[in-house]
Amino acid sequence: MIWFLVKRVFWMLLTMWAVFTICFFLMRALPGNPLTAERKVSPEVERNLRKRYHLDEPPLKQYVRELGRAARGDLGYSIRIADLTVNEILAAGFPVSASLGILAMFFALTLGISAGIVSATRRKSVADFGLMTVATLGIALPNFVVASVAILLLVFVWPLFPAAGWGTIESLILPSMALGGPFAAYIARLTRTGLLEVLNQDYIRTALAKGLSPRRVIFGHAIKGAMLPVVSFLGPAVAGVLAGSLVIEKMFAIPGLAVTFINAAQQRDFPLAMGEVLLYTGLLCSLNIIVDITYTLLDPRVKLE
Amino acid sequence: MRSFLPYILIAAVLGLTAWALSFSSLEPADFTFCNGTEIKSVDPAIVTGQPEGRIIWSIYECLVTWHPETLEPLPGVAENVHGDSKTNRWECLSDDKKVYTFKLRKEARWSDGSPVTAEDFVYSFARFLDPATPNEYVKLLTDYVVNASEHYSSGKLKPGNPVQIELVDYENEKIGVPGPLKYGKLIATQELPKPKSAKEEDEPPRIYTVEVDGQRVRFQPDVGRGSQDPRDCKRVCLDFREVGVKAIDSHTLEIRIKSPTPYFLNLLGFYPLSPVNRRCVETHGFPAWTKPGNIVTNGPFILKERRFRDRIRLVKNPQYWDKDNVKLEVIDALPVDSDVTMLNMYMAGQVDWITNLPATMVPELLARRERQIAAGKKPDFEPAPELTVNFYRLNVTKPGLNNKLVRQALAMALNKEEVVKTVLQAGEVPAYSLVPPGLPGYNRAQAPPYNPEKARQLLAQAGYPNGKGPDGRSLRVEITFNTNETHQSVAELIQRHWRLNLGVDAVLRNMEWNSYQAAQQQLEYQVCRAGWIGDYSDPNTFLDLFMADNPNNQTGWKHEPYDKLVRDAAFEPDSVKRMQMLHDAEAIFLDEMPVIPLYYRVTKNLVRPYVSGFYNNVQDVHPLKYISVDKEARKRVLAEEVGR
Repeated sequence: MIWFLVKRVFWMLLTMWAVFTICFFLMRALPGNPLTAERKVSPEVERNLRKRYHLDEPPLKQYVRELGRAARGDLGYSIRIADLTVNEILAAGFPVSASLGILAMFFALTLGISAGIVSATRRKSVADFGLMTVATLGIALPNFVVASVAILLLVFVWPLFPAAGWGTIESLILPSMALGGPFAAYIARLTRTGLLEVLNQDYIRTALAKGLSPRRVIFGHAIKGAMLPVVSFLGPAVAGVLAGSLVIEKMFAIPGLAVTFINAAQQRDFPLAMGEVLLYTGLLCSLNIIVDITYTLLDPRVKLE
Repeated sequence: MRSFLPYILIAAVLGLTAWALSFSSLEPADFTFCNGTEIKSVDPAIVTGQPEGRIIWSIYECLVTWHPETLEPLPGVAENVHGDSKTNRWECLSDDKKVYTFKLRKEARWSDGSPVTAEDFVYSFARFLDPATPNEYVKLLTDYVVNASEHYSSGKLKPGNPVQIELVDYENEKIGVPGPLKYGKLIATQELPKPKSAKEEDEPPRIYTVEVDGQRVRFQPDVGRGSQDPRDCKRVCLDFREVGVKAIDSHTLEIRIKSPTPYFLNLLGFYPLSPVNRRCVETHGFPAWTKPGNIVTNGPFILKERRFRDRIRLVKNPQYWDKDNVKLEVIDALPVDSDVTMLNMYMAGQVDWITNLPATMVPELLARRERQIAAGKKPDFEPAPELTVNFYRLNVTKPGLNNKLVRQALAMALNKEEVVKTVLQAGEVPAYSLVPPGLPGYNRAQAPPYNPEKARQLLAQAGYPNGKGPDGRSLRVEITFNTNETHQSVAELIQRHWRLNLGVDAVLRNMEWNSYQAAQQQLEYQVCRAGWIGDYSDPNTFLDLFMADNPNNQTGWKHEPYDKLVRDAAFEPDSVKRMQMLHDAEAIFLDEMPVIPLYYRVTKNLVRPYVSGFYNNVQDVHPLKYISVDKEARKRVLAEEVGR
C-alpha cells in the first residue's frame, strides 16, 4: 500500500512537471500576450509593462524561474487580477468550486442511487419506466438547458430561489442540481443495471431462499456488488463536474475557479492559467488514486500494484 | 476495514456536504448592483476599465469631481473649482490658462483620519509617472503637464538636465515602493550595444555620467546587483521637481500645463488621477496595501470587504468631508460576467442596478418601457447616447484600400440604417461622423449618406468598374472581427451590401480576442471592426486617435494636414476657433475615410424606480455618492413585480 502510494505520487509529480512544461511553451506560442488590450499603449509604456512582468526575458529564463517558484508552491502574481497572488485566487475560488462540486455529487449520488434501486426492484413497473425516461432525458440534455428550465420555473414562475449569486444555502441549490442532474441520471442507470445483474446471481437466490427479507438482501448483500460500476464512474464524474461547472458558474455568477480559468486563458494571464492547470492536474491525479484505493476495498479481487 | 467501508464512505459524503454548506453570509446591503467583470485592482494608477472606475470613484476623491448629469467640473478635494467650461475661465486657472492653483479643503481627510495634503497629490502623480507602476493611462499626465513626458521617458534626457537617480535598496525591496533617490546634473549619456535578445523597439542600455555632490559618478540601470562602476540603479530620469506639479504649501497645489487645454480640468476628475496614501502604500507595498483593512482612501466610501468574484462591499466613510450628503451606508458591487445572469438577477429583485443587458432583450425592454410610461410609472430603462463610436478600420497599406476612392465607395455602399434597425436593434444611432453627438460647442463634420449609385461610380473611377479590377477579377475584401454573434451578423449584412451594391467579393474572418488584437496592431487585416470609448468629453479624444504616431491608429493612415490641425488645435486658446479646427480635421478625415464610422452605442442601464440620484450622461458614469434608495418604495415595487 505504502509502496503503491509512493509510486503514484511520484508519477503524479512527473505528470505535473510535464503539464507545466507543455503549457508553459504552448501559452507563449499563442498570439497576443497579457498586455494585449483594446487600447494600445505607447511603445515606451509597453516596454515598462513587459519589464514589470518579466515578459522581456528569453522564454527559457522565464521557464527556469517560474518552475523554481512553482516547485516551492509559490505561483506568483496574476497579471489581470493585480491585487491578488495566484495562491490567493486559488484559495478563494477552490472552496467555492469544491462546495459546488461536492453538492452536485451529493445530489447525483443520493438521487441516482435511490432511483436506480427503485427501478431495479420494481422492474417493468410504471415507476421504473418513468424514472428511466427521466434519466435518459437527463443524460441527453446538457446542463445549461436543465439550468435554464430550472431558472424559468423555480425563479420566475414560482419564485423559490434566487436567480444567481453565492453566500446563502438557497443560492446553492439550483446550480448544484443543474450540475449534478446529468450525473444523477447516469448513476441511476448504472445502479439499476448493476443491481439487476447482482440480483440474478446464485448467492442472492440463496439468501432469499434462507428467508431473508428482500430489503435485507438488497441493502445487506446486493448493493455492495452493484456499487462497483458507480464507484468506477466517480473518477470520470468528478472530472465531468469540474468541466461542466464552467457553464453553471457563469450562469449563476458563482465565484468558482472554472470561469476564472477560462478568463485567464483567454486573457493570456500566464501565471493564473498555469496555477489552475497545476491545481486541476494535481486534483485529478489524487482523485484517481483515491478511486483506485476505494475500488480494492470494495472488491477483493482487485489488487493494488 | 472492508465491512466498515460503506459507513466510511457515507460518513465522508455527509461530512463533505456539511463542509460545502458551511459559509459565512453577509447582511444584505442598502444598494446592490452588478459591476461587470471582476476588477483588476483598486489601485487607481494601474486600471483602465469601467468596472474599476465605478469602485475607484467611490472610494477615492480626485481634485475635481464631475457633475453627475452634465459632467461639468465640480469641487472635489480642491475647493476653488468654480467657473465656466465654455470660456475656460476658472477661479483656479491663471490668465494665460496654463497654471492651475488648487486650494485643497482643510476638512478633507484620509480614512485613517489624517489630512489630505498637496504633498499627497505630488506623491500620487510622481507614482503615476513612475515606469515601475504598470500604468496604461500615463498619457493623462505626459500629454499635458510640463516636463511629465520628459520625466517618464529617460530617452529624452540631455546633458545639463537636472536628474534624479533611483538607487536600489537591496535589503528592503518592495514592489511599488521606489528606492532611495539621489539628485545631480547629467554630464553625458553613453549608449551601449543592444543585447542580441533585444527586440527592435527596445531601447539600448545606457550609462549616465552624473555630477552628484561635486563628484562624477557613472550609473547604469539594472547593470547588476552591487556593481560600483558603473553603479547599479533602477533608473535615471529628469528630476521630478522639474515636472509641473508642485506643493506650494500643505494645502496649495500648483499644476502647470504645456498649452491651454479646456478639458484638462475635467481630466483631473478622471479616476486614474485619484490620490493614494503614501504611508499606506509604502508600509505594506504592492499588492498588500490594496487589501481591505490595509487600504487608506479619501472618498465617500471605504473598501470593507472584497471576496474574489463574489462581491465588493463598500461602506460609508465616516471621515469623508461631505459625508452628510452621502445617503447610502452599505453597497454591494457584484462581479457578474454574463449579461443574461445580470438581467435574471435584476428581474428576480436581487439587484437594484445592472450596467449592461443582452442585446437581444432590448426590443422587449423597450416595449416594457412603453407599458410603464403608459401606466404612469417611472420607467427603469432609459437608453441614452454614449461617448463611443463603432467603426470599420480600413487598412490603407493594402492594395485597393490604399485608394481613397475605393474607401469612399465602400463607405457609401453600406446601409447603416439597415445595420442598426435589423441587426443591432438596441437603439443604436447610425454614425456619419467619427465624433459622437452630445459634445457641447462642437459641430460635427458629416460623411456622405448611403448612395449605392454614387458608390459604384466612385469604384469605377478608381479602376474597378462593377467591382472588377484591371485583371478582370473582383476586388476582394476580408472583414475581420472578434468572435461575437452581433459582430458576425453586422459583418454578414455589410458583406451583402458590398456584394450587391459594388460587386466586391467580401469574405468574413472571425478571430479570438487576442489574435484579433494582434492582427489589428500588426496591420494584418484589410477591414476590421473596432470601437472606441471617449476618455473625456472633448472631440480630441476621438480625433487624436488617428494621428500618424498614435499607437491606436492601426490603419496605416498618415495625413500631415490632419495631424497639423489636431496638433495646433491643442495650442489654440480661443475655444470657438479650436472647435472649428477640430471640425476641419474631422472633415479631412471623413473625406479620406481610413475608417468607416458605423454606429454610436447607447447606454444599457436598468435601474429600479426607487433609486434616485442616478443620471444619464455621455460617459455612462454614475457616482454612487449621489445615489439613494427609498426603502418603502423598494418593498412595494419588489412585491408587485417579483412577488417576493
